[in-house]
Amino acid sequence: MIPALQASNPIVRWSWFVDEWDQIQAALVQHLELTLLALGLGLLLSATLAAVALRYERGAPSITAGAAAFYTIPSVALFGLLVPYTGLSRATAVLPLAGYTLLILVTAIIDGFRSVPAEVREAASGMGMSSRRRLLTVELPLALPYVITGIRIATVSTVGLVTVAAIIGQGGLGRLILDGLRRTFWTPMTIGASLSILLALALDLLIYHAGAAATPWARRRRA
Amino acid sequence: MIALPIAQAAVPRGIGLLEWLGDLDTWLGPDGILSSGLDTVTLCAAVMGTGILLALPPAALLAHLRRGELTATALVTLGRAVPTFAVAALLVPVALRRGWGFEPWPIFLALLLLALPPLYLNTYTAIRHVDQGTVDAARAMGFGERSILFRVEFALAISVVFTGIRVAAVQVVATEPIRAFLGGDGLGRYVRDGLGQNNETLIIGGALLIAALAATTSLVVTLLERVTVPHGVRRLRLQTASRRGSIG
Repeated sequence: MIPALQASNPIVRWSWFVDEWDQIQAALVQHLELTLLALGLGLLLSATLAAVALRYERGAPSITAGAAAFYTIPSVALFGLLVPYTGLSRATAVLPLAGYTLLILVTAIIDGFRSVPAEVREAASGMGMSSRRRLLTVELPLALPYVITGIRIATVSTVGLVTVAAIIGQGGLGRLILDGLRRTFWTPMTIGASLSILLALALDLLIYHAGAAATPWARRRRA
Repeated sequence: MIALPIAQAAVPRGIGLLEWLGDLDTWLGPDGILSSGLDTVTLCAAVMGTGILLALPPAALLAHLRRGELTATALVTLGRAVPTFAVAALLVPVALRRGWGFEPWPIFLALLLLALPPLYLNTYTAIRHVDQGTVDAARAMGFGERSILFRVEFALAISVVFTGIRVAAVQVVATEPIRAFLGGDGLGRYVRDGLGQNNETLIIGGALLIAALAATTSLVVTLLERVTVPHGVRRLRLQTASRRGSIG
């Protein structure tokens, strides 16, 4: 280690943070976009799979087992395997990321709808609700706390995994990390890693409060 | 040490996957699959060994004392959320300043953080869910607290503890390849080099190797469980699981 380099290489050089703000901001936006795309796609797939699992009870174990098996595929391997087909594109990052959310989201949605007491469902039907109206106005709100917890976990874990997508040139904040490592210049690396953790915490808090606002009865019960 | 200590695997371009995997040099060379794989396996084994030593004793003790329920609940969330890559990256300058070198301390600590939640959580939950009647019966028969913990609670819980070990081990093995992007080597090097050299054979071959190791890990831990868990306890656990819904 060259002493001069070491001395001029603090863990964070704040002037870099100010000078390169454009680059940091772009990485942050890209990180957020990838996270939201993956979560949106994951939520869509999970809702479908969970609906199938809830409708056909017997299929439920194989659906969760499939999601669990997918979760154990190493991310570096999956990104690598997709590169020949989808190139170094956004799809190569988003598809695996969405797949990794399935285990968390499918389980959460199934648990949520299973938590609705049978009496409540019967009462709703007895009041003359159609099954669609019962689903949307009774079952969904009651399942929501479980679903929101699932979305929080999926969000935090996706924000962390997006950094790994930098290896296929899509990583948002992960690109700053790789950049810093390549140049042995700690500032971008520290900033990229810290911001990705802060972003995860901020989104978690945001979804928590949005969920609390959407389910006021749950808060009252908690108090 | 200005540049990263990365030695790129020398692979001729335009070579097919089977040709690459069929070449003995690919496996036995100094940067070969066997030595890279051994690097990965050694690090993962060290992480798992440390993780088991750190997580199991406090989890078992707290579950026996029926304390710390909240910690366990909080860990469920944390377990799936550890950003290994970011944590390892933050640790690199720290490790260098302390003179520990580029590698493998940052990735070791980040992987350890990943392994601890499932290990702790499964041990805690398993022991906490051992039938209180069984524990009371053992106490009435004159078992001391230590005997109850080791010979009753832990013995009955061991199957679920193994589930935790399997989950943690697979996650650690599946995540270790990012080490190749943090200045190390290991089995992730082929994907890294393939991406760097725009060599699809290397990317796909490396990805398959990583996936195969993760699958093998799951299999090995399952076999280990078969050998370790007494037949009677396994049968008991299956009955309990089907009655209560699995907690693994």
